[in-house]
Amino acid sequence: MNNSFPRLIDGMCATLRTEVLSRLDDEFARGQVFGIINLLNTFKLRADWSTDFLSQQVSIQCHALEHVRSLIASVPLAPKVATLTPPQIVSPNELLSLRDSANLEIGKLLDWLASAKENLPEATALAIESELRQSMRREIEIELKSSPRPLFPEMSSGQENPN
Amino acid sequence: MNEELLPVQIADYLQQQTGHAVQVGPLTRFAVGFSWKTYLVPIAGGLPEAGGASELILRLGPSYGLFAPYSAMPEFLSMRSLESSAIPVPKAYWAGDNTETFGAPFLFSQKVNGAAVVPWVPANTPPLDEAYRKSLGAEFIDALAALHSVDWSNQPIAQMAQGINIENAALTNVLYWEKQIERWAMRPYPAAQWAIRWLKDHCPVAPRVAIIHGDYRTGNFLEENGHITAILDWELVHLGDPHEDIGWVSMPMYMGGSPHFCRLTEPEWFYQRYSEKVGFQVSMASAKYYRAFSLLKLAATHMAAARCFEEGRFNDLRMPAMGSQIATCLRQLEKTIESPI
Repeated sequence: MNNSFPRLIDGMCATLRTEVLSRLDDEFARGQVFGIINLLNTFKLRADWSTDFLSQQVSIQCHALEHVRSLIASVPLAPKVATLTPPQIVSPNELLSLRDSANLEIGKLLDWLASAKENLPEATALAIESELRQSMRREIEIELKSSPRPLFPEMSSGQENPN
Repeated sequence: MNEELLPVQIADYLQQQTGHAVQVGPLTRFAVGFSWKTYLVPIAGGLPEAGGASELILRLGPSYGLFAPYSAMPEFLSMRSLESSAIPVPKAYWAGDNTETFGAPFLFSQKVNGAAVVPWVPANTPPLDEAYRKSLGAEFIDALAALHSVDWSNQPIAQMAQGINIENAALTNVLYWEKQIERWAMRPYPAAQWAIRWLKDHCPVAPRVAIIHGDYRTGNFLEENGHITAILDWELVHLGDPHEDIGWVSMPMYMGGSPHFCRLTEPEWFYQRYSEKVGFQVSMASAKYYRAFSLLKLAATHMAAARCFEEGRFNDLRMPAMGSQIATCLRQLEKTIESPI
């Protein structure tokens, strides 16, 4: 793919709006098209090209350059070959799993705090609660920053600008 | 459930109920509603058993739906209980939970004229016309007060009482929705867990046990010329504290960017007029409590939508869109709990 991910999403949304919706009469089907647009808008904010295929390409390139470097190491006037190191990629699934484990831990600590609060120094209990809640709040804020305006009016009416 | 066979199945069913042949025209499915499937059923020549109506509404609760498995009974019992009341409710004709008839629980009701006011509007949407808003707002408040004033003890809906009283109404509902979250959440939500604890620790005593609509808002009633013609979507009906519907009405998601509950009423006007009509003073502490409860319930609903889509039960693309709103609910939930009364 040579086009950028966000531009492709914009193009798909525009096509659905101008070319598909303008020729579609069924209210429910129109609502579903708005559902697709809503999802595409979310992808634009939260998704990108898969790191899997990009890292495969980069790895092959780095390996080839490394090999050529060793082949021309003793050749006079040979060009200098840049050293490129593929980055350590963490997959989204690993991150999702880590996030859920952290949330599970936070939940357990909240349960424990509710029962142990009375036996803890007040300042300690407050500091623990504040830290846990701040973490929960920040997680939600980050998620909201990556969320487009939901198209509920359009999805439930099938209309572009329902009032 | 086979949609192509549906008109024939409907004709057969209606013939069994009425004892005469019934001719059913092509069905129209409405986009409204995120849970039950709603169809307009044309009846050639009208149906004498339904006041001569030439159109009926059929609602089906599919096994793959948002809150499945469904029962048509809460909706049917509540609509039957309110038939002779001051609340505008479509007449409920036939209902059943067996899946042999249409492949899903079903409810036939009256088709009422009117259009739904959209609860969610884009940010640049102009406010509703003032006279229209006030007219509709007054009826919106009055219908809710009338609902909460119904003596349900001798009505069909009394079957749903299950030991509820003014002391346990709040906790009963919190425990119910906590179970739903355990059932639907696809990952841990400590913010919901924290809120559930707060709700359990702050249960108010209800002023009375009333019929609670459970989803009372714009979008769930029809209006014509500034007057409410029907309150719809009774699938979440139950018995509980009247403040529960007030909390639902007051959620910021339904204000459509306006300062008005459900785009219709100033909060002060709502509380004052409702209190006068219902016969008890709205408790601000209970209103806040149930706003928080409502936000938890809405978050749970969105969790159900996400799971429903993820499990492949339903390809309705509005489900993942709903699922993306869990964070919005949880943020508002914390803000509500932290806010002064």
